[in-house]
Amino acid sequence: MENVRILLADDHNILRDGMRLLLERQPGFDVVGEAGDGREIVELAREHHPDVIVMDIAMPNMNGIEATRRIVEKNPETGVVILSMHYDESYVLRSLKAGARAYLLKDALKAELIAAIRAVAEGRSFFSPKVSRILQEDYVEALGRKDADDSYELLTDREREILQLVAEGKTNKEIATILNVSLYTVDTHRTHILQKLNLHSVPELILYAVRKGIIS
Amino acid sequence: MRQRPGLILVLGFGGLLLLMAAAEIASLLLLNTLRQNDAQLQARFLARNRTLEQIRSNIYLSGTYVRDSLLAPEATGARAQLAALDTLRKDIGTALESYSQSLEPDEIAPFQALRSEIEAYWKVLDRTFAWTTEERNKNRDAFFYQELVPRRTSMLQIADRIEALNEDALKRGDDKLGAVFARLQLGLMAMIALTLLGGAGLAGLTIFHILRLEGEVQRRLEESVHAQASLQELSAKLVRAQEEERRNLSRELHDEVGQSFSAVLMEAENLLDLDPPAQVRQHLEAIRGVAEKGMNEIRNMALLLRPSMLDDFGLVPALDWQARETAKRTGMRVQVSSEVADELPEEHKTCIYRVVQEALNNCARHAQASAVQVAVRSESNHIMLSVQDDGSGFDTVRVRGMGLLGMEERVRHLGGTFGIDSSPGRGTLLQVNLPLTALNGNGKNGKRSHTAG
Repeated sequence: MENVRILLADDHNILRDGMRLLLERQPGFDVVGEAGDGREIVELAREHHPDVIVMDIAMPNMNGIEATRRIVEKNPETGVVILSMHYDESYVLRSLKAGARAYLLKDALKAELIAAIRAVAEGRSFFSPKVSRILQEDYVEALGRKDADDSYELLTDREREILQLVAEGKTNKEIATILNVSLYTVDTHRTHILQKLNLHSVPELILYAVRKGIIS
Repeated sequence: MRQRPGLILVLGFGGLLLLMAAAEIASLLLLNTLRQNDAQLQARFLARNRTLEQIRSNIYLSGTYVRDSLLAPEATGARAQLAALDTLRKDIGTALESYSQSLEPDEIAPFQALRSEIEAYWKVLDRTFAWTTEERNKNRDAFFYQELVPRRTSMLQIADRIEALNEDALKRGDDKLGAVFARLQLGLMAMIALTLLGGAGLAGLTIFHILRLEGEVQRRLEESVHAQASLQELSAKLVRAQEEERRNLSRELHDEVGQSFSAVLMEAENLLDLDPPAQVRQHLEAIRGVAEKGMNEIRNMALLLRPSMLDDFGLVPALDWQARETAKRTGMRVQVSSEVADELPEEHKTCIYRVVQEALNNCARHAQASAVQVAVRSESNHIMLSVQDDGSGFDTVRVRGMGLLGMEERVRHLGGTFGIDSSPGRGTLLQVNLPLTALNGNGKNGKRSHTAG
């Protein structure tokens, strides 16, 4: 298996140095470049076509969310791991909408960072347990507040299965193969799931899955 | 100082009125006196004239009687005439006596002449009474034409002179009255002129005073309006400065201090990676724990100062976060519904956020509410906010805490309206309406290039 080619984007040199040191010690990881701001990382990504970018949100010139959007737009195969101090769902949701596949807090353990990089390199999603927990807490809170009954109950077993696979980052084609059904069937299920849960996009669906604890 | 103009005015107007009243009374009295004097003068003149007239006619009559007695053929007839003459004589005496009571100084000499002339006349007449019939016949013509007629003429002339003098006296009296009247007229004119002058002076003074007061009032008003405006400007500046400082502090804490903690974490990880001895590992774990705790605290502090979502994503995510935080902290159910345009002016965004934050604080702290509904809607030219709770409510007339004042102040800076509808036991409805003008389409402080992370 080829080494995972990684770019780092963070405006703090010490942090970047520490991260590079940490990741380069891992077998199978290659840190191929570093950037100190959003524009720089967009340039570097165009140049290096990395497998994974570890991206901070707060950066000068262009923030990490906007940089993610531009990079993923050009190259959807690039897996972006957001490493941020923010844990509010507005940051998580916007990162997901921009195309990031993993969201970690900056107090994440080394093991979490490595797991996240491996997951996105394989095309899956990853959320640090702390982010999942906070999102879930907020969600429970919101449910309690709105007195809404949980629409998860409305989903069929097959729909729940597909929800999990979609949330993990699988494409329709992969899901069709795994479940041994047609592409068209997967698509129909996905539409139903979004309708039943009153969601409008895959990132929202991923967030939902994280909140429900379906994926982590 | 402030009493004096008023006192001057009261004294001035009072004095003027008194002056006018006094002048009027004096004029009326004087006019009355004049009229009485005039009547007296006329009455005196007529009485004296009548007396003179009587003296004159009696003298004429006496002549007639004397002539008749002289012409009488017998002594008896003459005596009868003489008796009549005696009556005349007494009458003249009485008349003379009465006239002498009111003699003018220049009448004294002619009057004395008249009196002695009349005395002499009587004496001459007395002589004839003793005459016999022959003597009468013999002397009568000579006596009549040489004695009596000249004496009568002389007396009448004197009487005429006295009459003329009497007329003079009347004229003089009239002249005197005329002079007094002229003086009165002059006095009245002088009084009117004085009153007019005084009135004009007072009016001038009053107008001057009123204008000065008006000017003073205008100046004070302008000063107070100006002071209020600058006070409001100052407080708006303070609010902006405070907000700016909070934003900077929040960002600084988040970006610099927070990142330093995360660098410490990373370095600890790196050291742990080197597989250190158990004792060192323990210390590194401790460092890790402290750094993690510090990072969380810094993050919370930064969010409380000013949530980064407000600058990064806008009003609604910040309100959602605020609602969740309040719900977690207090157990209240907080529901936010929003229809807000993405780009609100910086100051409007901050204003709404801070008002909601304060309102939620109040709901939790004072109202003991269990549920709060926050609704924000922006339209093309204004933003509407309402915060409704089911708490204890309060008396809006009596209670006006600093929190409410602060909210109202923020809203007023942006030209908006702020309303509170509440009464004890009925919950509280807070409503804000902020105008959105094309001018503040983009907030001055809207530096959106940097996203806090």
